[in-house]
This record gives sequence, structure tokens and C-alpha cells, in this order.
Amino acid sequence: MKIKTIFKTAILSGAIALGSVAVQAADFPTKPLNMVIGFNPGGSTDIQGRVLANVLGEHLGQQVNVINRPGAGGGVALAQLANSRDEGYTFVFGTSSTITFGPLAAPTSYDLDSFSYVAGVTLGQSAIVTGEGRPFSNWSELIEYAKANPGVSYATQTTLDRLLIDYIAKQEGVSFRIVPTAGGAGMAPLILSGDVDFGYSGGTHSGYAETGEMPVLVSLADDRLVAFPDAPTLRELGYEIDPGEIRVVMVPNNTPQSHITRLAEALEAATKDPRFIEITEERILMPVVFIEGEAVKAQLAGQIESYKQLIEEMGGLN
Amino acid sequence: MPDFNAVSDAFAIALSWESIFVIFGGVLMGYIVGVIPGLNRSVAIAIAIPLTFYMSPYAAISFLIGLSKGTAAGSAVSAILLNTPGEASSAATCLDGYPMARDGRPRTALKIGLLASVIGDLLATLLLIGVAIPFAAVALKFGPYELAAILVFALIFIAGMAGGSFLKGMAAGGLGIVLGTVGLDPETGAMRLTFGFYELMEGVPILPLVIGTLALSEMFVQLDEYRRNRNQSAINLGDSKKDDLSWKEFKMTVPTILRGTAIGAFVGALPGLGPSVGSFMSYGAAKRAAKDPSTYGKGDPRGIAAAESADNAVIPASYIPLFGLGIPGSVSAALLVGAFMIHGITVGPLMLREQPEMLFSIFSGMLVASLLMLAIGWYGLRVFARITNIPQHLVIPIVIFLCLAGIQVQGYGTFGLLVVFGFAILGYFLKKFDYSFVTFLVAFIVTPMLELNMRQSIILSGGDAAILLQRPIAVVFIVATVLLLLHFGWSAMRQRKKAGLTRED
Repeated sequence: MKIKTIFKTAILSGAIALGSVAVQAADFPTKPLNMVIGFNPGGSTDIQGRVLANVLGEHLGQQVNVINRPGAGGGVALAQLANSRDEGYTFVFGTSSTITFGPLAAPTSYDLDSFSYVAGVTLGQSAIVTGEGRPFSNWSELIEYAKANPGVSYATQTTLDRLLIDYIAKQEGVSFRIVPTAGGAGMAPLILSGDVDFGYSGGTHSGYAETGEMPVLVSLADDRLVAFPDAPTLRELGYEIDPGEIRVVMVPNNTPQSHITRLAEALEAATKDPRFIEITEERILMPVVFIEGEAVKAQLAGQIESYKQLIEEMGGLN
Repeated sequence: MPDFNAVSDAFAIALSWESIFVIFGGVLMGYIVGVIPGLNRSVAIAIAIPLTFYMSPYAAISFLIGLSKGTAAGSAVSAILLNTPGEASSAATCLDGYPMARDGRPRTALKIGLLASVIGDLLATLLLIGVAIPFAAVALKFGPYELAAILVFALIFIAGMAGGSFLKGMAAGGLGIVLGTVGLDPETGAMRLTFGFYELMEGVPILPLVIGTLALSEMFVQLDEYRRNRNQSAINLGDSKKDDLSWKEFKMTVPTILRGTAIGAFVGALPGLGPSVGSFMSYGAAKRAAKDPSTYGKGDPRGIAAAESADNAVIPASYIPLFGLGIPGSVSAALLVGAFMIHGITVGPLMLREQPEMLFSIFSGMLVASLLMLAIGWYGLRVFARITNIPQHLVIPIVIFLCLAGIQVQGYGTFGLLVVFGFAILGYFLKKFDYSFVTFLVAFIVTPMLELNMRQSIILSGGDAAILLQRPIAVVFIVATVLLLLHFGWSAMRQRKKAGLTRED
């Protein structure tokens, strides 16, 4: 116990000392930075992150290198970041559900308070989707259909969307056949071929926005989706959940405030940069925003509470 | 059908200086590995995967494909000059290549081997491109029922065809399946067989597994053999003017090369058979077709042409099930799946829809690799002849170093080292007791896909087998699998009886 306290004090004073040194060295950054992405190259976070890194690099006057550390839905990257002593030279560009839901789904070495949130720059656009030629065309028809025809199937990708659909099924008194799929690439063929009736989509549906092959039934953002304005949100349908996801830049909580401020300034500029706006709003079809760090943290804290309640109500995760 | 722009863009990528440089590097490295008897293709690919971390996915895959093609061509050099095949699959090349070289015509023999390699490779690559795309277009329509049935069929087929005993093949496959299920359960997220290791959550890491079982264990085997035969020296190339390939002689071998390519491509497209089967089948066919078969085995150029053309044709053809169905049919294809995975790409028919540019770039890169192989082999003849003399005591430590360094590059740390050594020991015993390697590796690689599709089928059908009546393709493969099992089981039993009768002790 005692040793632990001494250790803590040592770390704290070390951090303070380092912090004050860094404040004195007002010009941050003085060397190249690392942007860690917790997903594989080629995914939408990676595609967007690489452009963001370029734009940020110009505003900061230093190169920003992109490093992919995939695993555990972005959790591996966060676990490493939590132990970083890099004063903001290493930061993660990631999705908020890794912080809000990740620690609830499995034990993690980090939680909400392990990090400082620089800013939120993009809103997630995940959705409940279906395919063409189904006997239902909107959410209430789907529920009616499921009640009349047991065995309607749903393609899940994450523990979170599974929890949501279980909750919804319980509220509506229906049961679905819940089929596990491996990511958007695994879900799409099942939905398009009609083998599975409807499913969760993180962003895959955006690629089919023009052809209309993958209609959206429900928006899983806090507001309606930009590319599919006709689909209602969960709250509009009467379910008291706001699963909206934010793409956020975060640093370890021991990072000097001056560095965080400098990064936030550069991020705010990046959200006005046409290149970042183009890749985000036209390629992956997500809205660009700028949400300050404090506001991001408050929103995530609220989300964590509502997920905890949801899990309790469902009697734990299965 | 893919539009013309995608195809021409793909060629533009494959013909850029940067990509030619990468492919050149791959083919050259493959050639050297092929020439050195102690180093084989799977060792080379396994230790080269970490080298590709910092390349773009296209460059990485082209590099690895160039590498595996290069080994097939390079292996002829040591077969001809040293009477020791650089790859097991060039053993048939020794039969006529070494006598011809001893008769004072080593350069002619090498050139025939090279031309046969390049022609076999190029034609089989064109076949791959022609066949894989329509194949993938059909496969895209497969649902979970069909995929699960096809995967089981492929696994049983490989276990039975990969040589050795069927039971041992099944055992090796079973071991691969068990290792493939380690990690998070795809449906419930429960931890399976992780024994509390956080590192195993995403499954057994593929890189330490392949480096351990393929590369490091092979070095142990080589060390074993090194103690026995140390003194071998290669035939010198010499400067004789008479020793050159004439147009007439080349023309004589062309029909053999074409036959060899056809046989190699056929064998390659079937999962599990591998290049050794292809080259010996082709050699046998050439000998049977000859008017005077007695010249074979005494330095007949057609013998070299038959073996080498088939040996090389197998490689591109073995990628047909890979790109068409997502099923790796050979060790090198299984390693490619691993490399694709590391770069975040799921290889298979979906590539045709989601990343057509990538698919066409890889195909054009493969054609570029064939041509570079010709240039490298032709102008590097003398250099490669020298390399055959590199002593084992230099090769083995370097490879062991690269194995261990490769693990560190991906940041596996101490855990990775433990896994590598664990699998190296496993691989050593698999080799010693002749358990099928291909079956083990392919089973490990396809298990997550098989499991997911199987479970999707069961959930979607609600456990009702009657759904199969609406799925004729799945039924065909299930029936074929049962017949295959009966066939292999029956012949394994007959063999055992025969062995029991002859061995009366």
C-alpha cells in the first residue's frame, strides 16, 4: 500500500515536473508526431486518419506519422496510449465506443479517465440496414413482420449492436435469429443476397447510398443520418438510447495542457480544411464537426451511464 | 464485368518504376533462395512477410508473389549443377539436368530450365487471370451454406491428397483447426483456449506460427542433415563456345513445355497437391510420350523442360482457388492469406467487388514478375551458379536471425519469441513424423472462416437441415465430401492390410 502511494507520488511529481518543463518550452511540437489508429489499414478510420494526419502536419509544422495498431476494436491502441509518457507527441485517432463500451464488454487496462480528449472531429453514421426486395420497408413494418413470421434474422458485428438489438427485441416482444458476421465485408454479402433479413452496419451502407441496394431502417447516430435522412433515430422510435459515436483525438491524461491546447487548435483548423472535409463528407459520408474536449468527455460519460443501465436491465452481456 | 479503366489503371500501377523495383527485388530474392539448397520457398516467404510491413498492400503482395515465383525458377540451378534440388519440386529436374551438366553442357541445361520455367509461369498466370475472375463472380453468389460445405470439402481433399497417410493428414488438419479456434468466440465473445494470455485474444498470431513451424523448424532439420553431408561442390560453368542453347534445340522442347504447363496448371489448381507432384507427373508424361524414352535420365533437354515448366506452372495456378474462392490450396497460398490479413485485406471473391483495382494490379504485377524472371535468370546465370556454393554454416544462422528479428518487428515481444520456439518444436516433429504441413496450415488459416459460416448456417436455418433442399450447390459438396471420405478411408484401410501382409513379424 505504502509503496503504491510512494510510486503514485513519484509518477505524479514526475509528470508535473515534465509538464512544467514542457510549458517552458513553449514551442510544441519540436519533433515529428505519431497518430495511432486502432484499426487496420484500408478501413474508414484509417482512410480518414491518413488525410487528417497530413493536414494536421501542415498546421503543426511537423510531420505526423500514421501507425496502425489494430486489435480488440481499437482497444489495443488505447491500452498502449494509456501507458504513454510522450506528452502529446503520440495520440490516438479513434472511435468513442472503444472508450465507452469497450471497458464494459471486457476488462480493459484503461477507462474514460485514462485520457484527455483533444476534440471530436466527426460524427459516426452507423445504422440498422436491410436489402432490396424485403417484405417490409420501414422499422414498424419490420417489427410487424417479425411478430407474424418467427425466425427473422439479424446480422451483428459488435457486442454493442447485439446488446441494442437484444434490448429492442425485448421491448417489442419479438425474437430474432442473431447471426455473427466478420465486419462490414462479412455483413454486406449476406444482406445483399437476402440470406439475412437485416443487420448492423458501421459505415458500409454509405457505399450503397447511390444505388439504394442497402436501405437504412434506423439511424444509430444521435441525429438522422446525412446520407439517409428518411430513417428515424432510436429515440424517435421510442427507444431511450443515444448510441451516437464520435471520432475523437485523445492523449494520455498526463499530457501538459499547453500541448493539448496546441493540438486542439490544429484540429479545429483541420476541420475547416477542404481536404479533410472532402474525404469525410464525400468519401465516407460522415459529417465533420468540432466538439471541444470537455464537451466530448461529458457526452461520453453520459453514454457510459446509459450503457451500464442497459446492461443491467438486460441482466448482463451474453 | 470490370470496366476498362480499372484494368488500365491497374497496369499503370504495375508498370510504375516503384512497383517494378519491388517486384524485381522479390524475384531476385526468390531466385537466390531457390538456388540455395537449404532454403526453400516457405522459409523465404515466412521470413519475408515482416519485410513487407512498411510497403503498400499492393507492393507487399507483389513482392511475395515475385518471391515465390523466383524460387521455382532458381531451384533448377542447384538441381542442374549440384544434383541437389533447391526446392523439393525440382527433384525431377536433377534426373536429366545433372547428367547434361556433367557432359559439359551446363549452360545449355540452365537456359532450357529457365525458358521452361518462364513459359510455364507466364502461361499459368494468364490462365489464372482468365479463370479466377469468372470463378469469383460465381462464388460471390455463395451464401454461408455453400461456403461451409466447400471449405469442409477442400480440407478433406487436401488431407487426402497431400501425400502420406490419410489419418495423419486428418490429424494434422485437426490440430490446425484446434489452433484456429483460439481467441474470442465470434458469436458470444467468450475467450477460448487463451489460458489467460491477453495476446491470444485475437487468435494465435499468424506470423510467429508460420515463422516457427515453417522457417525455424526447417533450420533445425537442416542442421540435422548438415552433419551428414558437408562436402559437395557444384559443376563449373566453363567457357566452352559449344555450350549454348541453339534455336533448334529449344524448338524441340516446346511441345514438352506446353504439356508440362498444362499438367502443372491442372495439379496447381487442385488444392493440396503441390509442385512436386506436378513436376514428376509432367516428367513421367514426357517420357511416355517420347519415341525413344531411353534418352531420358541421361541428359535429355526435354526432361528438364518437362519438370521445370510444370514446377513453375503450379505456383500461379495454385492461386486460382485463393482468388476465386478464398481457399488457399498450397503452403505459399496460405502464407499469402496471412500477408493479406496483416495488410487488412480479406483475399477471395469479395476482392473482385470491393477492390477490383487491387486485384488487377496484383495480376498485372504477376505478369511483370514472369518477365523479370527471364531477365534475371538470363543475365544472372553466372552469379547464381556461384551462389550454389554458399556453405550451409553461413545460411542457417542468418535465417535463424531473420526469423527472430521478424517477430520483433511486429512487436510481439517475449510472448512472440515463446510462441515461435513452441511452434518450431512442433514443426520439427511434424516434419520428422511426416504429418502433412499443407493440411495443418490451411486448416489453421480457414478455420475462422469455416466456423463463422457453419455457425451462420446453423443459426439462419434454426437448426433445420431441410433448408439444404433449397441449396443444391451445398448439397453437391456435402455428398462429394462423404464420398471423398469413404474413398480415402477405404484406400487407407487397404494399404494398411497390404502393409500388414508383407510385414510378418
